[in-house]
Amino acid sequence: MKFGIAVKLGLLLAGVSMLASGLTGFYAYQTSRAMLVESAKTELLTTTHVLGRRIGLSREEVSRNLQVLANHPAALAAVQGSNPAQEDQLATLFESILRANPSYFQIRLISASDNGLERVRVDRAGDRVLRVRGDDLQEKAHFSYVSGTLRLAPGTTYLSRIVINHERGAHAGLDQPSVILATPVADDMGRAVGAVVINVDLNGVFATLANDLPRDYQLFLANRNGDYLIHPDPTQTFGFDKGRRVLIQDEFPATRDLVSGAANQLLTEVQDGRYGDAPVVAAFISNKVRVTADEDRLTLGLAQPLAAVLAQADRLGSVVLQMVAGLCLICLLLAVLVARAVTHPINSMSTAVQRFTFGHQVAALPVERQDEIGVLARSFSHMQEEIRQQLDALQTSREELEHLARHDVLTGLPNRRAFQERLEHTLVRAQRRGERFALLFIDVDNFKSINDYWGHEGGDAALKIVALRLSTATRKADAVARMGGDEFVVLLENPTHREDIVVIAEKLLESVRSPILYEGQEMQVGFSIGISQYPDDGNTSAQLLSRADHAMYETKAAGRNGFRFSSTKGAPTNPTPL
Amino acid sequence: MAPFLSLHTHWLRRLAGWTLLCLAFGAQAHDTLRVLTWPGYADPDLVKAFEQRTGAKVEVTFIDSDDVMWQKLSKDRAADFDVFAANTAELQRYIQADLVVPIDTRAIPNTARQLPRFRNLKGIAGLVQGNKVYAIPYTYSEMGLIYDRQQVKEPPTSLRALWEPRYRGKVLLYNGSTHNFSLAAMALGDSTPFHLDEREWPAAVQQLIALRRNAMGYYGQPEESVEMFTRGHATLMFANYGSQQLQLLKAAGADVGYAIAREGALAWLDCWAITRSAKNLELAQAWINFFLEPEAGNALLTRQGLANTTSESPYLRPQDKLKWLEPVEDVDRRARLWDRILAGDRASKVLAP
Repeated sequence: MKFGIAVKLGLLLAGVSMLASGLTGFYAYQTSRAMLVESAKTELLTTTHVLGRRIGLSREEVSRNLQVLANHPAALAAVQGSNPAQEDQLATLFESILRANPSYFQIRLISASDNGLERVRVDRAGDRVLRVRGDDLQEKAHFSYVSGTLRLAPGTTYLSRIVINHERGAHAGLDQPSVILATPVADDMGRAVGAVVINVDLNGVFATLANDLPRDYQLFLANRNGDYLIHPDPTQTFGFDKGRRVLIQDEFPATRDLVSGAANQLLTEVQDGRYGDAPVVAAFISNKVRVTADEDRLTLGLAQPLAAVLAQADRLGSVVLQMVAGLCLICLLLAVLVARAVTHPINSMSTAVQRFTFGHQVAALPVERQDEIGVLARSFSHMQEEIRQQLDALQTSREELEHLARHDVLTGLPNRRAFQERLEHTLVRAQRRGERFALLFIDVDNFKSINDYWGHEGGDAALKIVALRLSTATRKADAVARMGGDEFVVLLENPTHREDIVVIAEKLLESVRSPILYEGQEMQVGFSIGISQYPDDGNTSAQLLSRADHAMYETKAAGRNGFRFSSTKGAPTNPTPL
Repeated sequence: MAPFLSLHTHWLRRLAGWTLLCLAFGAQAHDTLRVLTWPGYADPDLVKAFEQRTGAKVEVTFIDSDDVMWQKLSKDRAADFDVFAANTAELQRYIQADLVVPIDTRAIPNTARQLPRFRNLKGIAGLVQGNKVYAIPYTYSEMGLIYDRQQVKEPPTSLRALWEPRYRGKVLLYNGSTHNFSLAAMALGDSTPFHLDEREWPAAVQQLIALRRNAMGYYGQPEESVEMFTRGHATLMFANYGSQQLQLLKAAGADVGYAIAREGALAWLDCWAITRSAKNLELAQAWINFFLEPEAGNALLTRQGLANTTSESPYLRPQDKLKWLEPVEDVDRRARLWDRILAGDRASKVLAP
């Protein structure tokens, strides 16, 4: 209960700050995740474009090789007629290029004449490079890569459709996915009289190109109709050659626009079909073939498992989670500190109030603070001071009243009531302890005549002086009181012997007998004393008082100005001779 | 715990594998129909309708030549297919190789919808052997000549137009061994183009090499021919798919004519047959029955420009001389030599043993 506010405030602060950091973390994660996925997609698209450009560069490299060969003087000489020396020279060149380029299946020089007869032909056959000669050379004019190339201007490149090569006798290239690039060999007039033709191994080229790609990337290539040429699953490629077409737009419906030519690039996420278990992010671009080609457009694509993309986001998520947890911890500490800072002064004030109620000294209040709590503390301190002063005044007046009630106004001696209490008290104590005490009843002799002679003021002055002398003459432990009028009483605690009482009585008489100066004249006052003793003269205060009173009257009767014990057993005391 | 767990997972995985395998076998055996046929014979919408009606899955594989069909069906004794469509001449080698099973025509009630001459199966050479029916007629066409009317003003009257030097590099041909040898024989005036005797081979080869030297290229599928024809501005085409190609070319906007040479035109009648490996005969029969329904017949007529067997053909003219395909003397030899010719070999090399 004592920390109610502290706990509540702490919980509230901690809750609010945890909620704030949690929400911030969540939205930061969401936004960053979306950005990460987006950037991964963009990266994928960029990589696809880069790959596309590299394909273009590879094609250009083949084109350069073609140009070198087509411009070689031996090429023109060889197509213009049988020329074994030139053919051999060219064959050697073809062989070295074929060896230097593992992705080339075949290099040929084909003449426009003789129905497209191959003049020089070097094939890859397994690990070997094989020159094809004589009767084995074939006529190729009926293939579009020949007729198509011969229609081109010198220096340009022809690119065939990408197909499975079924040309019988193609050695290593037989029944393999191939693309044919060719360039015309021109005579002096600029007419195409032949063609240099290179068969390129599609898979070889792409294996090289895809070497640098991350391992989890999947590569796709489709022709202008969407038929797969390259696919992570080789059974999906060249479906048109097997009688069952497999189209990119069926697997990735979003590529429909690419295949139709309505779009140039796209990003898509696929999570159904074969990607139901492992969704992918995929980027596709439509690459327009820049040379004269039967394959005028290719769709190139890269796919990456969505999980790989999200793995980065998951790492980010755990970092965000750690940060949020850290922040929450800090917030919790701050909340505790703030709660304590707020409740500490409140607690100290409540302690101060409690102590004040219990009558303790005022506890320290945070009065030095400049805030609202300081104001409250100062007001409280002020109020506390006022209450204390008023209580003090009340106490003083109560004590005065008490004094008045128990003392005689004229002499300042305890009055009858106060004496009665003292007597009872002494009586109880004496009974318990078996002690003794004595009562001396003292009466001013002929006080009426004093009053008459000196007036009431003279009488009062006499009484005051008598009271003073009685107080002075007795021990501290003994009690002196004014019982009313001219009667006084003295209680002697624990007198050991009767003689002690006698000594005291005589001493009292002695002290009060000396003349009293009043307005320059001497006033002679006499006293009669009656003495009773406990337990000799009674067991009650009334008995004791009555006996003392009686003894006093006996003293008066015996001639005043003396004392007498009330005890009947003892010899009658003679009044002290004056 | 870990080894036990991995063992457990391994075991589970194997179980799952077996289950999948069994399911796959079950599905293939009873619910999947594997069809081998020609482009235009089983359009996707019709296949879908059939699948919905039977609850079976259909896998259609298209071929573009008799040679390829033979390759696919003779491999593993037709284990990969249940139903296929072949012409009456080709059918003979499948029967001889025991790759097809007889068909119970009573299980195909739609045969009642066919024209009488197609119901009279004994009247069609090659369909019935020893009182057993081996195929149900589906569609037919002749192989005419398609010409570009912009470039060829007079419709060609002879097959020899294909060899005319003025059309050099402008003639589009079909990549199929048996028909090309038959074509060469007909052009040479041979009245028995399906039976080349030993003396006729060199001439036929020379004729085909000469034709190759006139060729712009060789096509397989009808769509491919259309693309090559329009892109390459061909003047003349040997139309293996006949009216089907004519219709496609016209649809593609080509200004083309169709001619039947005076030597006659090769003609084929394609029929549905069931392979020996068909596990679900009812499904195969249901397939054949389905494609004799009006919807499928109309699709042949209107979409493909092909005749069907349930109505008279709008494409055939009575005056045209047709040479219905017959089994050839040696399909393997034709195929082997044709491969060499197509690859560009010269006569000596083609005729080499």
